Amino acid sequence: MSGLVPLTVRELKKWYRSPVFFFVGLLQPFFWIALFGSAFSGGPFASPLYSSAIDNAPNYITFVVAGVLTTTALFTGMFSGINIIWDRRLGTLSRLLASPISRSSIVFSKVLSSIARIMVQVVILILAALVIPDGLRFVNGFTLFAAAVIVATTLMIAFIFSSLFSVIAVKMRNMQSIFGISNLISLPLMFASFAMFPKTFMIGWLQSVAVWNPISWAADAMRTVIINGSAITTTQSYSTLFDLLVLGILSLAVFLFTYFISEQEIRE
Amino acid sequence: MSMIEVKGLTKIYPGGIKAVDNISFTVEKNEIYGLLGPNGAGKTTTIKMLTSALKPTSGDAFVNGLNIRTESLEVRKTIGIVPQDLTADEDLTGFENMYMFAQFYRIPRQEAYEQIERLLDLVELTEAKNRYVKGYSGGMRKRLELAIGLLHNPEILFLDEPTLGLDVQTRTRMWEYIREIVKKMGVTIILTSHYLEEIDSLADRMSIMDKGKIVITGTSDELKGSLKGDVISIICDTAGEAEALSSYRDGIDQPVIKENEVRLSVENSDKDLAKIFNFMIERKITPMSINVHKPSLDQVFLKYTGRTIREAEGGEDVRKSSMNLRRMRA
Repeated sequence: MSGLVPLTVRELKKWYRSPVFFFVGLLQPFFWIALFGSAFSGGPFASPLYSSAIDNAPNYITFVVAGVLTTTALFTGMFSGINIIWDRRLGTLSRLLASPISRSSIVFSKVLSSIARIMVQVVILILAALVIPDGLRFVNGFTLFAAAVIVATTLMIAFIFSSLFSVIAVKMRNMQSIFGISNLISLPLMFASFAMFPKTFMIGWLQSVAVWNPISWAADAMRTVIINGSAITTTQSYSTLFDLLVLGILSLAVFLFTYFISEQEIRE
Repeated sequence: MSMIEVKGLTKIYPGGIKAVDNISFTVEKNEIYGLLGPNGAGKTTTIKMLTSALKPTSGDAFVNGLNIRTESLEVRKTIGIVPQDLTADEDLTGFENMYMFAQFYRIPRQEAYEQIERLLDLVELTEAKNRYVKGYSGGMRKRLELAIGLLHNPEILFLDEPTLGLDVQTRTRMWEYIREIVKKMGVTIILTSHYLEEIDSLADRMSIMDKGKIVITGTSDELKGSLKGDVISIICDTAGEAEALSSYRDGIDQPVIKENEVRLSVENSDKDLAKIFNFMIERKITPMSINVHKPSLDQVFLKYTGRTIREAEGGEDVRKSSMNLRRMRA
């Protein structure tokens, strides 16, 4: 995939050299945790009676942090597609297409830089969750396995959705349309998942939909290791590994699909 | 072997718009070949097909002996491109932009650094190399595009409207850079423009394009010569002298007399002027002024398309030009 490294470096430089984009990107996860998470931390969720509803998490923020990590990855992925349309509008894409580089490297450079941005956001988000009052608590300890699951899951979700939004942009020219379509995909994926809300609170049909949602798989896997830490059971470990396996297979399929589409279909 | 050989190339866009219609031409080594035409004539589409950014609908083309359909990656390795749009990344420095492209062409680091320095020097951007491109003027950006196009020592350089949106002074300077490149690097250049004077000044040979077709090909002199008509206008001291001068023939039509002015339509003023001088000396005719009107490329365009290039200007490239101007001013 020739051209991937220089193009990814270009994307990262553009990111950290744009102060507004850079800081807004870093603040966004903080708002999710500090404001959205805290909004649900009082009332019924503060009661020990509801602890079982939130998977025995010590508080709502510990429960929701996995969901916020997942949805942050989902929403940040949207920008990969938007950047492709910018390149097209400015004529940069045309010049890249006339260079001796692999066409898919144009798309995957957006995906990789998006993943890099997400990983920085993940660190900020976890730190924010740890420092806010009644925030994230690893009551059963924080294991290496938990760290590996969090990193792997975030990477895969970021990869899957950055790639899919990029593939959509490969065929689009209009900025408004990509925003519209991205929201049309992202919002139902977030709401029809177990990312933000406990399963037991959902109506039956929505639960049935949510079990097939990759956002749910990712949030479930991360939540299990965050809440249970070293006290994780064998069944929970296998369930988590199964989620990772399915996400891995999906990532591979998305990679092949993105590669094929971008090599064949990308036009100026 | 021709550096570029185009045979019946056609491009029809979705929706049935025929942007390029069965064109054929060849470009020889070390030649500057111009494609002249109004906006929307199909010049840029032709360049995009030849640089393998667009797939032709039908026809074939060989760039440096490589088929643009089946050897597109190889084609892209041997050519340089200076696109119509300002494509350098504004958030990178001039040097960073160039180094990114050097990596695309897999030029080893040290060699790339040396080549970048050499080219920045050529286009007089050495001092600005570490500044972000967003701080460059329009002319500086165009020069940077030119330097990027030459990074890998291409054998063929495609210049698509290289001075679009630049002021007259900067445009003239760009022409000097282009001539210098040909002299120093021995590159074959294919140049598109809708500026008549640009093609006239730079191109060794040219094709005039209109509505996707090539209407005529030749050197500037051949095309102008095809109009058969330089006009030599001589104002004499007296009406009698004008009358005497009007008896000049030597294979030309009856001159037109208007008071003291005589207008002689000749095939080639360079050849006929000396004969006319001798004729005037023999008859003791004292000219007050002599003007030679050579046919312009605009007249050539008018003859072969039925309208002037200004009349033929369309919408699409004007939009691009406006976008470029906005970026230049930003």
